[in-house]
Amino acid sequence: MSDIPLRSYRPVTTEAPLFRTALIVVVLGILAVLLFAPLITVFYEALRKGALEALTSLANPEALSAIKLTLLVAALAVPLNAVFGIAAAWFITKYDFRGKAFLITLIDLPFSVSPVVAGLCIVLTFGANTAFGGWLVGMGYPIVFALPGIVLASLFVTFPFVARELIPVMIEQGRAEEEAALTLGASGWRVFLTVTLPNIRWALLYGVLLANARAMGEFGAVAVVSGKIRGVTATMPITIEMMYNEYLSVAAFSLAGVLALLALVTLALKTALEIAHADALAANHRH
Amino acid sequence: MGRPLIHRSPIPGLGVSAGITLTMLSLVVLLPIGALLLKGASAGLDVLWHEVNTRRVWGALFLSFRLSFYAALFNLVFGVALAWILVRYRFPGRRLIDAAVDLPFALPTAVAGIALTALYAPNGAFGALAKDLGFKIAYTPLGIFIALVFVGLPFVTRTVQPVIEEIDREVEEASATLGASRAHTICRVILPMLAPAALTGFALSLARAVGEYGSVIFIAGNLPMKTEIAPLLIVIKLEEFNYDGATAIGLAMLVISFALLFVINAVQVWSRRRIGYV
Amino acid sequence: MRIEIDEISKQFGTTAALTPVSLAIPSGALVALLGPSGSGKTTLLRILGGLEFPTSGRVLFDGQDATGLTVQDRRAGFVFQSYALFRHMTVFDNIAYGLNARPRASRPPKAEVTRRVQKLLELIQLPDIGSRYPSQLSGGQRQRVALARALAIEPRMLLLDEPFGALDAKVRKELRQGLRDIHDETGLTTVFVTHDQEEAMELADLVVVMSMGRIEQIGKPADIRARPASQFVREFITA
Repeated sequence: MSDIPLRSYRPVTTEAPLFRTALIVVVLGILAVLLFAPLITVFYEALRKGALEALTSLANPEALSAIKLTLLVAALAVPLNAVFGIAAAWFITKYDFRGKAFLITLIDLPFSVSPVVAGLCIVLTFGANTAFGGWLVGMGYPIVFALPGIVLASLFVTFPFVARELIPVMIEQGRAEEEAALTLGASGWRVFLTVTLPNIRWALLYGVLLANARAMGEFGAVAVVSGKIRGVTATMPITIEMMYNEYLSVAAFSLAGVLALLALVTLALKTALEIAHADALAANHRH
Repeated sequence: MGRPLIHRSPIPGLGVSAGITLTMLSLVVLLPIGALLLKGASAGLDVLWHEVNTRRVWGALFLSFRLSFYAALFNLVFGVALAWILVRYRFPGRRLIDAAVDLPFALPTAVAGIALTALYAPNGAFGALAKDLGFKIAYTPLGIFIALVFVGLPFVTRTVQPVIEEIDREVEEASATLGASRAHTICRVILPMLAPAALTGFALSLARAVGEYGSVIFIAGNLPMKTEIAPLLIVIKLEEFNYDGATAIGLAMLVISFALLFVINAVQVWSRRRIGYV
Repeated sequence: MRIEIDEISKQFGTTAALTPVSLAIPSGALVALLGPSGSGKTTLLRILGGLEFPTSGRVLFDGQDATGLTVQDRRAGFVFQSYALFRHMTVFDNIAYGLNARPRASRPPKAEVTRRVQKLLELIQLPDIGSRYPSQLSGGQRQRVALARALAIEPRMLLLDEPFGALDAKVRKELRQGLRDIHDETGLTTVFVTHDQEEAMELADLVVVMSMGRIEQIGKPADIRARPASQFVREFITA
């Protein structure tokens, strides 16, 4: 009996303490270098010459017009995206039809297309050099190198966001509550507003949050379609690029700091939703 | 056809929802992608091939794909390790770390790009360190690699995490009662269970990296044949009004993206058939 | 109300859920659709409620063709298998839903809605649960709330899909009597779906035994017990 070593008191479903500590240290170390250091750098570089300098740079007309344009683009693209997401989720989850899987693949398509290619596609569709785009320019409605192109590009890159959040939630909730409301005499709109919407509101908010962050921060697709006209089609990310390339470091990083704050707020709200309303979100967001 | 195209339903709103869905899908996604395909078709294979078949374009495509592959590989290993400690270990700040994993999704790429460049340029904090050790990070392929790791970081973790949460501990206990060491259990029982999800995350991370633009162009230096990525080449061709050239590279990238999408779907179908979930 | 099912069939793709079936339900009857899963009984109930559409055939209410009537216009009190209570509304709001959904002209005033909901809560013998949410109720309470919600619209008939399916044996017995009482009190034509032969025999005036999309036998419980029309019925009712 005495030659059996009595050493293993840890459960068999975990690793040795030393291994655990080492793994945690290594992983967190890599995260610190790759994730947290860049984030801190944004604020460090912005505040390098003091908070006043940073705030002053945000108040210059170029930065202000970029902020306004970005807010305007998000205000147009995000609601359109939400309408699409709700319609697509309703269509996909409330009816049985052939080709549903294919439709979902098409909706997901923008996720796997490079933003630059997305921008290129829009230029090739609506650019002044195309027949359709040329006609639109002639009518006084240019799309590329103008606001509509930027909105279209933002819509393209955020296209699946809301639909993807809503579809799994609505599949899980089934159709019985809607059917019950119908048997009680409710009209379609009433069913949607009083039964469906309250059940999907947190998932909708989650999708809108992510779509908004992406729309405000989109760079590649917008860089191609905007033409980068100062004060006219330069969104915040585009303006950051221009300032950075002109060695206006504090100005570039101050504007970047605003977007980084937006990202942090988005993450905080998203996490709060995951904790407070886990059962109302798609299963893969529950922790 | 035995099955009707669409089953009649008592739920109202079919016309409105199908109308909005198909109209917006066509206008925002299908029409533009169709325009790219049409442009490619009207230019003809000869012209497209002529545009792609230059050393500079091959160099850019090869660089993009090679570095994206390395970055996705790094994220595969790191992502599984990160998911494992987030689910299985308890340490201070775990919830915060868990929330922060999605930072690359939320942080605009241009912001990440200039921040990484400031950090890894020879006069930046980490860049100076590297300089002392005798190598450069920013403006080299290594810098591009770091940017691509950054943008692809969350994918593997987020696909693997729910699978780890669902592993039945009894399976691990069973392995132990059969005499397996912990290392053996991890390699032979746990990792194979994670493989399909990890592969999906790998493919997603790879697809994202191949198309990435914003976070890379600042740190890349953009030297033709050395640090010039494929998406940047599209932008350059467009600035030169060389639409055929941009179309050719765009189509090449689209083909790569769709191939990756196909692989992702195949992996999911395969694993669902084998073990019932991804 | 008298319900007639006239040669109703239903195809799902290439599989037939209902081969043409016909059935006449006299006004005020309490009818059980009895059969194993996949026998088409739920499909038939959903066709009556307007939630599913027959491939061919007609449904008549009091002799009038109701096949094309929308689900809202049928005024069928439908109790779902999972109850389908609105999880984000209180019990009160659940029961009041149908009254508030009426067009403004025929919508009862608020005080009247409150009075009617309270009356229904008393009918299901749960007068004090109006402010609770469905998640705070037991299975049996949920079933009774679903019943009250269906009754609130002053339905022309009552349709119940496996109304006791999700309940344990003791509660099931209690609620059977509850349904019988409510049926006798309201006099509504009532159709319920069940796979439990004992439940059908004990509760219903008329039992419709179904199998594989066909009606095997229609009759009073005692008659079916005494003279099963087929081998299937014999085996199913003794199982």
